[in-house]
Amino acid sequence: MTAPTTILSAVQQAALIRKLTALADDEIILAQRGGEWTGHAPILEEDIALANIAQDELGHAGMYLELRRALDGSDADALAFTRSADEFSSSRFVELPKGDWAFTMLRQYLYDAYEALWLDAARKSTYEPLAEVANKAFREERFHLQHTALWVERLALGTPESMKRTQDALNALWPYVGQLWQPVEGEAGLIEAGLLPDLNAVRTRWEGLIVPHLRVQCGLILPPGGAEQPGRDTHTEYLVPLLDEMQRVYRAHPDTPYW
Amino acid sequence: MTELQSDTQWPRWEIFKQDTEKRPYQGVGSVHAGDPDHALLTARNVFVRRPAAVNLWAVREDDILNATPEEVGMHPEVLDTPGEADTYHVGIKKTHKRSMTFVDLVESVEATGPGDALRQAQAQHPDALAWLVFPDSAIARTDDDPGTVESWFAPAKDKTYKQQQYYGVIGKHVGELKREGRMPRRATEEPHAGDHKVYDHPHDATTEELKIHEVQKSEVQK
Repeated sequence: MTAPTTILSAVQQAALIRKLTALADDEIILAQRGGEWTGHAPILEEDIALANIAQDELGHAGMYLELRRALDGSDADALAFTRSADEFSSSRFVELPKGDWAFTMLRQYLYDAYEALWLDAARKSTYEPLAEVANKAFREERFHLQHTALWVERLALGTPESMKRTQDALNALWPYVGQLWQPVEGEAGLIEAGLLPDLNAVRTRWEGLIVPHLRVQCGLILPPGGAEQPGRDTHTEYLVPLLDEMQRVYRAHPDTPYW
Repeated sequence: MTELQSDTQWPRWEIFKQDTEKRPYQGVGSVHAGDPDHALLTARNVFVRRPAAVNLWAVREDDILNATPEEVGMHPEVLDTPGEADTYHVGIKKTHKRSMTFVDLVESVEATGPGDALRQAQAQHPDALAWLVFPDSAIARTDDDPGTVESWFAPAKDKTYKQQQYYGVIGKHVGELKREGRMPRRATEEPHAGDHKVYDHPHDATTEELKIHEVQKSEVQK
């Protein structure tokens, strides 16, 4: 990891730490949801594929938290495994229970498209360490996106049952997806300084990508959106039990060596 | 197919992987998938998360004709299997040694059908343990544009690949146990047939090795 060359003001540094943590938190929680399918996916091949995707997301979280460590010396494991729900800044979109296969694939698709496009823009960040991480993670995200886009299409165009489940998943997810675009405190300043991608521009690209795919290619009906989105400090009731399970081993054995 | 249609599995696809531009395609295993694109995506996840690759082919099992010399001897009519004239890819199995790959694609031939391709494979490679042929038109290929190569195959290069023995048991690395002379003697004896190992893949651990893990676990519990 190259040393940060950009000189950050104290305000910028605090905002960047919030952003890196929010990015990592979404990845950690979604990876946990993906991991819940291990051993339960419809076929062995997809079991392996989803475990791969979840592991990649967790790897991205590790990269974001490594960037944070360089700024404030924090420990990634401690952040992931000892913070309580109200200290997490994950979006409600990733916290929702894993649902059925259509729900899982559609959520992962919407998320992969968001992450791929955000990362693509972040490759031009003036903050070099972030640009470096974005370059690396973008490659994996592009592949995830191909995989999940294929599944959404196959399910939407499959049987009446799979079509119904996919539409139900879209109806359930759509009201939550906007929270992914909620900026952290101070994000506007970082965008202005060229350290972070312009969220609105990324969102416009995202909509240009997913709306035609869902509507035209998959024949799905987009529910009305535009509901007011709460900030990232508002969580679902599902986050506490998720963390309880995810953090149990670490909390019970904080000093256990591992490989 | 008979009237018995109880098999609800998706079709099986054989996956052939090329490690570098200069290497032959090698059969690495199979996936079940609904269509060619799906087959390639799952194959990438199953077979290329870590090991290096530059290309993948997926071929439906229905499009592959294979036979051993014994099978050709018992059913010579397999050499007359009809089908489309095409360029056929020829794969041969050369060894019984267990490995992560089991068939190398060694050449392609012009043939009037799969039976003819198999006949040519037999003539060219009389010593093979098995031959496999399929038409070029049956191949689903990964794209070779830079974007695909970057997103499908480049990430694997940054991922470490640990051998099974690296893991040991909690709190003790296998190497440590060996140095302390606490590994049962059998641990260092790998199963051999003649003068070569009978497995060369970490997943192919023998029951002896698994027993050793049990021993280690019980020692830790003490």
